[in-house]
Amino acid sequence: MSVERPDEKQRRVLGRVDRSAFVGRADELLRIVQHAETPESAGLLLLLAPTAGVSELLRQAYDELFNRRGNVIPIYFSLQREAKTAVSTAIEFLNTFLTQYLAFRRNEPALSLTSPTLHELLDLAPPADYDWIAQLVQSFNRERFNDDDESLIRWCLSSPQRIPAKHGRLCAMIDVVERVSLPAERLALTDEIIRAFSHADVSYVLAGLRRQLLRTAYSLQCEIDETEVIRVEALSEAEAGLLVEQLAQRHRVQVSAEVRDLLVQQFECSPFLISSFVQSAREFGVSLTSYLACERLYVDEIMGGRLGRYFAGVLEEIVPDQTMRQSLIRELFESSTAPEEQPRFEAWKRTLKIETEALERILRGLHTQEFISWDGNSIQTDKAPIAWKDFLRARYRLEVAKESRALVVADTITDALKRAPRTMARYYRREAAIGLRQSLARFDSQLIPSVLLDYDRFRDVYKGLPPAEIGNLLDADTDLVRLPQVVHVASCASFNPSTLTMCDEERSVVAHAFGEGKYTEANQTVWLAAEIDSKLEVELDLTKSWFESLMDVAKQSGFDGVQIWLIAREGFKPEACEFLARHRAYGSSRQQFELLSSRLGEGAEGAKDANAVHEFEMVVPMGADNELIVVHAVEEIARRLNFRPEAINQIKHAVVEAFINASEHSLSAERKIYQRFRAEDDKLVITISSRGIVPMTVEARNGEMIAPPDEEVLGNRRGLGLNLIRTLMDEVEFERVDDGTSLRMTKYLRP
Amino acid sequence: MADSIGFFARSRCVGTAAVIYASDYLNKVSGERIERECKRQLDSGCQALVIDFRGTELVNSIGISILLGVIDVAEKSGAQVIFSDVNSQTAQLFEMLGLTRHVVLARDEQEALTTLTERSSAAPISH
Repeated sequence: MSVERPDEKQRRVLGRVDRSAFVGRADELLRIVQHAETPESAGLLLLLAPTAGVSELLRQAYDELFNRRGNVIPIYFSLQREAKTAVSTAIEFLNTFLTQYLAFRRNEPALSLTSPTLHELLDLAPPADYDWIAQLVQSFNRERFNDDDESLIRWCLSSPQRIPAKHGRLCAMIDVVERVSLPAERLALTDEIIRAFSHADVSYVLAGLRRQLLRTAYSLQCEIDETEVIRVEALSEAEAGLLVEQLAQRHRVQVSAEVRDLLVQQFECSPFLISSFVQSAREFGVSLTSYLACERLYVDEIMGGRLGRYFAGVLEEIVPDQTMRQSLIRELFESSTAPEEQPRFEAWKRTLKIETEALERILRGLHTQEFISWDGNSIQTDKAPIAWKDFLRARYRLEVAKESRALVVADTITDALKRAPRTMARYYRREAAIGLRQSLARFDSQLIPSVLLDYDRFRDVYKGLPPAEIGNLLDADTDLVRLPQVVHVASCASFNPSTLTMCDEERSVVAHAFGEGKYTEANQTVWLAAEIDSKLEVELDLTKSWFESLMDVAKQSGFDGVQIWLIAREGFKPEACEFLARHRAYGSSRQQFELLSSRLGEGAEGAKDANAVHEFEMVVPMGADNELIVVHAVEEIARRLNFRPEAINQIKHAVVEAFINASEHSLSAERKIYQRFRAEDDKLVITISSRGIVPMTVEARNGEMIAPPDEEVLGNRRGLGLNLIRTLMDEVEFERVDDGTSLRMTKYLRP
Repeated sequence: MADSIGFFARSRCVGTAAVIYASDYLNKVSGERIERECKRQLDSGCQALVIDFRGTELVNSIGISILLGVIDVAEKSGAQVIFSDVNSQTAQLFEMLGLTRHVVLARDEQEALTTLTERSSAAPISH
């Protein structure tokens, strides 16, 4: 099942963006809709991180259900942070429910966005709904003036249960993410919402902060066993990048690829923070085309813009008292500067001079917002979001250290600029890592050629051989070793933060495992693996240093049955191999690691080049026989794919024709031709495009062969080039583009 | 056997035949050079054109169009046209585009000239 119906225009009702512009969360959207449409379905809890952004997801789900015009009547209600009484919020819920119900029944999406009074809603009620809504309004008037707030609240929240069954099944989507540790009154309202829906015979979706909602549901003794739970994960980096681009386009903000990627890293893929930032860029007319422009705006935002106001607002709600807030800022900041010394509850109680209950409430609030991690005793501050830490530092310097604002701003900008390239370098290194953790996690007693763990032997037998031959030899190798079954993997830094001085977190891991499929003391083993950054074969000294560092980690952590495994791109020098062998450690090159990973079964993430797609792009000016530059490039690419010489020649000629075709016909003012080569395992796809006019002879047809060339050659020498292309390549089609032409040609690899 | 280069394609005369040497890339520019040289030779009374492709690795459709024009002009002048030393890939292209129905492909320049000699020997003598 899919929620996309390209043949039908999706009406936007509550959604703030079109479906096509809604980035990420496709799986979650599908599950929400499926949940709503499943008969007898009860509750669905969406658990998410504080700035993960779920409101638009729920609105998109609302739109989807609204447009399906099925048996499910969607209702969306968001519990806002703005101060309101519980009673007024409950009445607002009643209004919202009735408005959206009638909007659905009347098939009038615009009605969902209005705020009619109850009497106006009654006037809008279709005949089939008039009676029960009239009764509802009468009951409300009685309850409203009954002087029993609690009863009124419960009555309002239970109003959806009054919908006649034959009119459809309600699915209430309630967003309680904004809920913070608030005054008791609002706390009670949220509890009432959860209680009302979990015990009602309506389908519901509750979205809330992950460190809070589940706990609350349990504490209210909701029917958790029958409740589905979705943990809404962070957007992927690719999705977050796409979000930046779409927001920038929507808000007409220029953003360069470099700044886009920086924003993704700096805001850690948070849709809320990214969205706020881009809106501010629009508001202040800032082009996000340089790190400088980006970080200047960022600091403005942290110091008092949208981001600063958001964090300040949350902090104020957690700690309303200003003096206490200042003290808390001091404690939080000073703890963050010494992450290895985790403060304790009692220490904070003393320094903050605060009662146990008050401190618990504060810590619970900070923990829920994920500004700290609190296990009841120790308080960890180093895992908080980057933007929060920057905000905290600025507030500390201004309010606690009483430094001048100009100095704080200047320092924050310079620090952010110095950090930006480091942030990106860290990202690039992470992307280039071999996937040690993912591969080790898939160790599950597989048999693999032992040579993959022994660089010395691998170098002698396999190094320099073509990949296909290596594969064949490995398949035939009978000297096998059984990998252990790994039960837990974590970074070395999780056990010993000092390893971060040696390498990035993802480049050294600890894997707890059992050998031979037996869960016994004797079979328990701990693998410590590390990826060494070295351009050449690793020397003995460096190998020793790494071995000893990992053994130190093992010793400090009290590991028994240790197995060391070092991986280096180009392997190890002979004396280093000897050292490893003497100490019964494994040493592999990157190639060996990738070969091993590819043998671990389905979902090989470690073997990144298996079935990988490689893309090359070129932009070449028209004229001056520049097609020859392109031809040389494509020749090399085709050669790497092992195309036969004849096929390579055909590809070259086709590329030449496509290039000169674009040069001659496009009348492009920019005089550039864009080439993209996508090399896959079984084919080469070449796209040649240019801006400009679309010639009359060119139509956006896909893959059609026109009349055989030899019938047209002498009679009509026009169109020779296109004929030639269609003869030389396996598939040829013109892609539809807004401006100019784009010709896509495919050549399949034949044995 | 005069050789000529520069504005015109490199060529040499062998009796009543002219051997014109195509460059490594037969495109519009080099094609037009060949065309100019061929016309010059025909205007000088040449009765056969041998276009030698020993140095040609790449051709494009504009170059081929120009060759078709040369073939036309040569046919109208009553001159023969032979292509020599065409590599297999280029020969395939010529085949695809039907050129080989109008010209003979010779293995090399020598074979081309020999063919021309044999043909002219076999031609009937008109009285």
